[in-house]
Amino acid sequence: MFKSIPLISVRVLIMLVFFVAPIFLCSWKKEKKDTPHYKFKFEHSKGLKNIPEPSDVVYDKETNHFFIVSDHGMLFECNLDGSIIRKAEFEGLDFEGVEVKDSFLYVSDESPRKVYKYRKSDLSMVKEYNVSWAGAMNKAFESITYNYTKKCFVLVAQYPTVIIEYNDDFKEINRYKFHQTRDVSNARWYNGDMYILGNLDETIFKCDPMTYKVKEYYKINVLNPEGLAFDADGNVIVTSDNLQRIYFFKNLPHN
Amino acid sequence: MKKILLFTIMATAIGTRSQAQFSEFKDLNSFSPFTISNDNNTLQLGGRIGFYYENRILKSGYTNLDHNGFDVKDMDLDIFGKTAGKFVYECHYSLIDIVTAATTANSSPMTPGFKAAYIAYEGFKIHIKFGYDKVPYSQSNISHEHASPFWSHPNLTGGDFYARRDLGLTLNTSLLKDKLNLYAGAYSGLGETVFQYGGDASGTFEYVGRAEFSYPGKMKYNLIDEENSPIVHFRVAANARYEDKTQPGGGTIAANYPDAVGAYSTYMVNGKRTIYGGDAMIVYRGFSLQLEEDILNIKPTSQADPLFNGTAESLNKGVVNAGGFVSALNYDWLKAKSVFSVGYENTNANDLQIGHMEWVTLAYAYTFNSFNSCAKIEYYIPTVEDVNAKPLKYTGQLRIGYQIVF
Repeated sequence: MFKSIPLISVRVLIMLVFFVAPIFLCSWKKEKKDTPHYKFKFEHSKGLKNIPEPSDVVYDKETNHFFIVSDHGMLFECNLDGSIIRKAEFEGLDFEGVEVKDSFLYVSDESPRKVYKYRKSDLSMVKEYNVSWAGAMNKAFESITYNYTKKCFVLVAQYPTVIIEYNDDFKEINRYKFHQTRDVSNARWYNGDMYILGNLDETIFKCDPMTYKVKEYYKINVLNPEGLAFDADGNVIVTSDNLQRIYFFKNLPHN
Repeated sequence: MKKILLFTIMATAIGTRSQAQFSEFKDLNSFSPFTISNDNNTLQLGGRIGFYYENRILKSGYTNLDHNGFDVKDMDLDIFGKTAGKFVYECHYSLIDIVTAATTANSSPMTPGFKAAYIAYEGFKIHIKFGYDKVPYSQSNISHEHASPFWSHPNLTGGDFYARRDLGLTLNTSLLKDKLNLYAGAYSGLGETVFQYGGDASGTFEYVGRAEFSYPGKMKYNLIDEENSPIVHFRVAANARYEDKTQPGGGTIAANYPDAVGAYSTYMVNGKRTIYGGDAMIVYRGFSLQLEEDILNIKPTSQADPLFNGTAESLNKGVVNAGGFVSALNYDWLKAKSVFSVGYENTNANDLQIGHMEWVTLAYAYTFNSFNSCAKIEYYIPTVEDVNAKPLKYTGQLRIGYQIVF
């Protein structure tokens, strides 16, 4: 009975699918539309020489330097213009996130599911931790930050987007699903709020650091944003992996 | 061997880093694969399943409806791993090809059951890959057609004219902050039939080279702009491949390796074959456009070769040309989870025969979760057919189905 369908049915089906179905199948996210949102354009950008595929950046108040990690498993200390000061000797496979806390740097190595602890003073690697994530090899922890509000580390799985809290020994404490964006490439705690960066949607979400509920969001005009940092004045810094550039924004609107 | 050595020296001399090659599972945008890891190894298990219903609109007088029914497009299983020593390995199986061969006791040499089986070393600035995988020729070939509303590759780049996959050595490196991406390789030249024949009597390789320039940054092999790129992003590429498969002792490909002749007798030829082409892709705000042209320049050893179609040497001058053009325009309407595509293709399988072929393809995908879980419909219209060499029995073909990537 399924061997053939009449010609008229074929044409009706094509008409239905190509022209009518999308209208009915639209799935607008009302919740997202109701959240305050802004467009946020960068002021200037700069190519990152000799840092292949920069995947995250963090600002260190103590040294007034950036620390930048690369998809090629490298950690760099850089001046505020992105120029390299030095590079860590120990290399991993696929560095995707970096955070500074006290005298140490914490780096997420995505593919092998590891976190490396480096001494900030000499960039020597002092300890490694295993963090498990059973999803796709290249859609794991693209970000690492310390949530000073809840006193815990936060790693966010890129896809599906899951926020996982860890204690200082990287034992899992809690996890939260985050449905506001298609994938997450970064997270950064700053000034009492948690900021989450959506890569495919090119959006920064400002979230409650306790619940990770979105307060407002900012659409940015950067392709493939992967790294997110705030400098001493609260200016926003974003790195782009594919374009190998660092983008400088002003303070977030309403920040 | 000298050419392989030359490739290696040239690539090494470039002395820069390399970027990812084109495994669809290496940067898989799906939340379903399983990954396990220990201190030395990380292993990902994934796959893809796709089914469709096909309906061909036959010309009057044709009554065989064997194309009207259900079909399994893909039933793939992929094992992809990385070691702490920077080795990468992949085994990509087509279970439906294996099952079909087992149940019919008649394997199809063009679909041997492997889609990839290789090891690669990514610890050097040049990535070295050895094994069976896609040949780095043609944007359409390298790109993952399942991540588009289309159900299959165009005819030109789908494996009828030349091999899509082969066993061999591939080198890959990139320059200018990954804007310039280079491939070079040497392969068996038997393509997908390499598992059946192992090698051929000529003892020669097929050599392939490809250079891509992307701006303002590197570009992945995604046909659809799912990122809704906020800037204009493009890639242009040129590539070529060459083989001399002249059979010793007066042998012919048709006699020695009949399954390597191909649909148009161009897949492997008894003589010299050069294929060259160019392709381009541009994306912006959900729109993407792909263009590609390929030319096959074939010099059969014997004037008696069927490729000459019985023409006099004074006319054919010992050369047969084939080739074609493929293009696609796509739009990803993100808010409606809908992707629309229109494809156009023309081919000429032999310039010594009258006639060429043209197709227009309309396709739509409703993406419940990107192309990892989506419904696709494709309507394929042969607008010009080659009534001499390849007369068609149908005027249109509809495929509607569903796929998941896990």
